[in-house]
Amino acid sequence: MNLADIIAESTKEIFSSMVMMEVTEGAPKANIVTRLTNSISGTVGLGGSYKGMIAIHIPEPVALAITTNFLGLEVESIDDDVQDAVGELANMLAGNVKAALSEGGSDIKLSLPSTVFGDEYTFQCMDDGDIVIMPFNCEQGEFLVDLRLRAEN
Amino acid sequence: MGKKVLIVDDSSTMRKIVTRSLRQAGLDFDKILEAGDGQEALTMLQAEPVDLILSDINMPNMDGLSFLREKAGNPAIKDIPVIMISTETGADILNEAKSLGAVGSIKKPFKPEQVNEIIGNLI
Repeated sequence: MNLADIIAESTKEIFSSMVMMEVTEGAPKANIVTRLTNSISGTVGLGGSYKGMIAIHIPEPVALAITTNFLGLEVESIDDDVQDAVGELANMLAGNVKAALSEGGSDIKLSLPSTVFGDEYTFQCMDDGDIVIMPFNCEQGEFLVDLRLRAEN
Repeated sequence: MGKKVLIVDDSSTMRKIVTRSLRQAGLDFDKILEAGDGQEALTMLQAEPVDLILSDINMPNMDGLSFLREKAGNPAIKDIPVIMISTETGADILNEAKSLGAVGSIKKPFKPEQVNEIIGNLI
């Protein structure tokens, strides 16, 4: 399975089983996305036999809708609940990517999730190795899943 | 006497989801306690023993494997069954958890019926 397929299957599984939302994937972006506006990004780093990170970039209105579904409570702005929910989405995505890359699990380490949000920010990470940035659509709009990965020998 | 469960996860979202899944699965716990990491869980267990522990693996301060190790060394709490709920699915890590006393595991993401299937047999 290639990285785009792993991202597509993982994201759809997470949203369907835990967020109770159906999402559909689009074609991977041809260019790296660095400038984000009115959004929140959840990130988990990978280290060990593969280095890199996986991130989910979500516009604020979509993040609020996702959190409302995920937690079953209404949220009106990016608060602690939204940050924690987006971090946990990144964490589950990273876990699925790790499971696809490592049978035993001990050769790849995951960082704890972190989030950043704001009216306008620049997201920079390693830009060599394998990069897949895949858009997903739900009723409230589009979000991106961003995987940057390099095998270490 | 009613049954008690302790959910150990650094994500407040995941603690809410696990709580919701237990209720949706119809599992009959009278009290659901929450801890944000292994250290907090050990402190809570000293004050209030429980019937079942559901623990994440990757957590700050004290992770799930360290928590299992500490728990195994404490006669007052060592026999409380623990089920790991984690994104970790690797055989090395799950085997280590089992060797430290975990009796089962649930992979995140999960559906409420999976929670029922695995936990229902233990209570």
